[in-house]
Amino acid sequence: MTKKNSIGTQKIVAVLALVLLYLFFSIFGNNFFQYSTFISILDSSYYIGFMAIGVTFVITTGGMDLSIGTVCICCSLLGGTLFKAGVPMPFALCITILIGLLFGLANGLMVSVMRLPSFIASLGTMMVSRGLGSIITKTASVTFPQAENSGAWFRNIFKFKAAGLPAAGIPTGFILLIALAILMAVIMNKTRPGRYLLAMGSNKEAARLSGVNIVKWETFAYIISGGFAALAGISYAAVYSTLMPGTGNGFELDAIAGVVIGGTSLSGGNGSISGTLIGIFIMSVLKTGLPFVGLQPHYQLLITGIVLIGAVFADVLNKRKRK
Amino acid sequence: MTMKGIDKTFVGVQALKSVQFELQKHEVHALMGENGAGKSTLMKILTGIYSRDNGIITFEGKEVEYKNPKEAGDAGIVIVHQELNMMNHLTVAQNIFIGKETMKGKLIDDQKMVDESKKLFELLSIDIDPKEIMGNLTVGKQQMCEIAKAISTDAKVIVFDEPTAALTDAEIHELFKIINDLRDNGLGIIYISHRMDEINRITDRVTVMRDGEYVGTLDTKSSTKDSIINMMVGRAVYEDPKQQSSVPDGAPVVLKVEHLKAGRLVKDLSFELRKGEILGFSGLMGAGRTETARALFGADKIDSGDIYIKGEKVEIQSPKDAISHGIGYLSEDRKRFGIIGDKTVAENTTMASLENFMNGCFINKRKEKEVAQKYVDALKTKTPTVNQAVENLSGGNQQKVVIGKWLTRDSEILIFDEPTRGIDVGAKSEIYTLMNQLVKEGKSIIMISSELTEILRMSDRIIVMCEGRKTGELSIEEASQESIMAAATLREENQEER
Amino acid sequence: MKKKILSVVLSMAMIAAIAAGCGRAEGTTTESGDSKAPTSEGAAVKTGDLSIEIVAKGFQHDFWKAVKLGAEKAGTELGATVNFVGPKDESAVAEQVEQINNAINKRPTAICLAALDTEAVLGALSEAAQANIPIIGFDSGVPGADSIVANASTNNYAAGQLAADKMYEIIKDKVTDSAEPVRIGVVSQDATSQSIGERTGGFVDRMVELIGADKASVEGHDKYNKTIKDAKVIIEIGIPATVEDAACVTVANTLLNKSDLIAIYGSNEFAAKNIVTANESLQKLGSDKVIGVGFDSGSIQLQAVKDGILAGSITQDPVQIGYQAVTMAVKAASGENVKDVDTGCLWYTADNMQDEAIAPCLYE
Repeated sequence: MTKKNSIGTQKIVAVLALVLLYLFFSIFGNNFFQYSTFISILDSSYYIGFMAIGVTFVITTGGMDLSIGTVCICCSLLGGTLFKAGVPMPFALCITILIGLLFGLANGLMVSVMRLPSFIASLGTMMVSRGLGSIITKTASVTFPQAENSGAWFRNIFKFKAAGLPAAGIPTGFILLIALAILMAVIMNKTRPGRYLLAMGSNKEAARLSGVNIVKWETFAYIISGGFAALAGISYAAVYSTLMPGTGNGFELDAIAGVVIGGTSLSGGNGSISGTLIGIFIMSVLKTGLPFVGLQPHYQLLITGIVLIGAVFADVLNKRKRK
Repeated sequence: MTMKGIDKTFVGVQALKSVQFELQKHEVHALMGENGAGKSTLMKILTGIYSRDNGIITFEGKEVEYKNPKEAGDAGIVIVHQELNMMNHLTVAQNIFIGKETMKGKLIDDQKMVDESKKLFELLSIDIDPKEIMGNLTVGKQQMCEIAKAISTDAKVIVFDEPTAALTDAEIHELFKIINDLRDNGLGIIYISHRMDEINRITDRVTVMRDGEYVGTLDTKSSTKDSIINMMVGRAVYEDPKQQSSVPDGAPVVLKVEHLKAGRLVKDLSFELRKGEILGFSGLMGAGRTETARALFGADKIDSGDIYIKGEKVEIQSPKDAISHGIGYLSEDRKRFGIIGDKTVAENTTMASLENFMNGCFINKRKEKEVAQKYVDALKTKTPTVNQAVENLSGGNQQKVVIGKWLTRDSEILIFDEPTRGIDVGAKSEIYTLMNQLVKEGKSIIMISSELTEILRMSDRIIVMCEGRKTGELSIEEASQESIMAAATLREENQEER
Repeated sequence: MKKKILSVVLSMAMIAAIAAGCGRAEGTTTESGDSKAPTSEGAAVKTGDLSIEIVAKGFQHDFWKAVKLGAEKAGTELGATVNFVGPKDESAVAEQVEQINNAINKRPTAICLAALDTEAVLGALSEAAQANIPIIGFDSGVPGADSIVANASTNNYAAGQLAADKMYEIIKDKVTDSAEPVRIGVVSQDATSQSIGERTGGFVDRMVELIGADKASVEGHDKYNKTIKDAKVIIEIGIPATVEDAACVTVANTLLNKSDLIAIYGSNEFAAKNIVTANESLQKLGSDKVIGVGFDSGSIQLQAVKDGILAGSITQDPVQIGYQAVTMAVKAASGENVKDVDTGCLWYTADNMQDEAIAPCLYE
């Protein structure tokens, strides 16, 4: 048995589930199987997807980051406010990411230096970022420039539209998501930082005794999570244009659900970026497809919850069998 | 390398007082002492895991102080811990090279690490696949990896803390070969162990500690076992094999197992246990003894077979079932399966019999403490109070707490799996006395042990297992180290030939 | 030892804070004590002592800012201090109850309230009644509560009807005796809020009336369903599972993708904005394609109306709401009789958006 099998079977099951779901909706949903719906699925997966990639690193160390949802919104609120105040878009975007990294740094230091449980530390950051967003924007919502306005070019990073292309445009955001996912997967599996995160998640004390700098690398994981949350905020603005302070709660749970469905264990030690992506897409397809088969909204939530439980249960069974 | 005048105090407890130790090149120097004597603490100070309050450490003529294990490791001082420190999700190769990964540019070169590990294992004659995930290996194999990891560095001083606890005799043989090679190459080896025969075999000098203080250093060749034990304990201890069974002739059968099959490692086992008997279970690593115990205790699934307790057939599907039938189990890995670390001695002691300590809906903490104190006294467990968290006690004392747990439960059938592993001579003796007392009171004990001297000293009867089957059943009168070994290595093909 | 000192210090700090708070409350009581007798004795109101506490359903949304504007305008005119608060979002019922309790404790001249949940505030209402503080409802008010003196709000049902009227004008030909079945989509933020329910219900009922009760079938959500077999016009309601942009866009998508869709209505800013977002990928809205009608404003919706993507939208008059609420509050406190005021709604299109009457009601 090689290392890959630690999450291997779970991933295969997940991919299978994704394909089956998509087919199911294509057959039973009205007009589900078309390009614009496909783009819809992608659009709604960007912000959760970026958050999920980032938080996978934290979960790998055995920790948790509940702040990603509100940090996502807070960062883009600040970025949008800066842009409105006259800062050119490229700078505003960079500062957005920077703020996310700073929140991540705060989380990381609280967990690795102050030894706060990550659940509590990130909960605190969640509330702080939520309040901060409201304060800076004076509780006003922020709208990012729409098409044809100056600065709107940033939307092209996620949705590229031009004459001659289908109305829905090209999902450049998807390309960005995949590219970053590949990069992060390489970092996780083939570089030292990733290796040390996996080691810490498996046995923190053993890693420490083996000379791994726990403080440095644990903080690193949270910084990544924060940075990706900010990126998620930018993609959210690109798709939905308006951000309201006080929102963002709940996004983190969607992201974490995606991570778990993808096979990464909440107790740490294994981390699969590809699994995370698949988990996110499963949730996106579910969310987008259920309305198409005419299910009323309350049923949609129910079914999504059942799928999540089923996915984790399958993983537990799998692990037990291997023992 | 020298250590002089080392002091160390933990919260309120002075662990080390003015301890000294000296190591030369080309030397294997044993460090002995009872549990709680301070051996592990001293070594942890040396390798930078703990800081010292006072004293000087010199290495290769220079004064040194290491702030963390990495610094010590870089300087060439490495320790192989008693309690395994492995990252179970990573592979063997990844564990061995953690912190010193071979790189290809910015990326880790996993394949190279696997190759290097393979070379290392060949050198040490270890049969382990470097690509295997650490969590899937047995305790014994994990320990070999830990040793390989220490050797893979350019160490000048290696500290072995109870290295042979989970190794088979063959593996021990290999280890000693390696240690001898290392010594010839100029390394200084510090060897912490309780096994007198090993000390005799491999060490040049012995330093003894007692109660956090330095007692003395002897030359191995010119000292006797008794003199060393005397220094450690202050009294003489006997270790001769038992002459005859102390079980009365008409003793009833309390446990009967027929054709037990459980998992991969228990294939077909039948045996009986009589009242008042100590039944020794011997065999090599992987023979299936622990797995048998776990199956009988309901911790692992039983595939087929019948179990009769006091003549009645019983179904055991969970530890709860086993406990209610009067079976208690002392596992071989107490850190993982025996103690609940951050809970107190008192809480651990009553863990299996909490319903006897209830006052309506509430736990009678006073009664809990009383009972715990009773067993602390009986077993001479070294702990400041019964409110001490068990993880703060030394290994041997933790074991005593677990034994206390089953005694509190008043279990009739006790399965002790390597009960004296990692326990010093003095405490061992106490546990042996305790076991004899228990069977005299009418309890029955199955004792699984890899130490032949222990098996021969304590058992009334010996069952030998090999590859999941019973390959030998000997009374204590007819048993000897050779006959047990013969049965333990009796593999299937040979069995059929018989 | 350290822990003990810390807990003692913290306890003392808490006690000090409570004492300070009580002290202030005492102060306010004695001050406004004079102007409170009014409701039972009809005594004159002392100007300069008037304080109105306003608890809205939210704080962030631009709609509430417009309400606040109107309220403060009335306050300045009438010489009353106005304090405007609201919870962080429209689901934070507990937070709002606390704010109401705080407001009552301040013993103001009167209170204006837009409750998130009537049941939750009943206790506070009776306390206010005991303290002789009159309560004026605004926006969605406090539906079902008797102790509310009067309401300043948009008649949401009528507003919904207006939307139906305007849409019917445009799609008249397509829905009268159509050969093939046609569909009108309705996106509603939720199925629980009263104001949304009335706007959606008003629209649906009116549309059914205009088309003919036997010719229009209503489907999509139990709350509104009235299925008629073989009806040529289907009115389909879509409600997202959670009040999240992504979920609402999905619902809008589903509707916009239906090949027989001829028109779509969003009953508040949230719904309308997400219809526009969904349309970005599909490009189905326009004067010669699917007719879109919205509600409220917001920058995305305004731009869409300006560009002709939405045929037009209904706007409330949030400034009037605030203004009337405070005006009535002051009147009620001085013993005058006050009655409900319908603050009205307006239909705006690309042509009349800039008009004097309409522009102030629209917010970005």
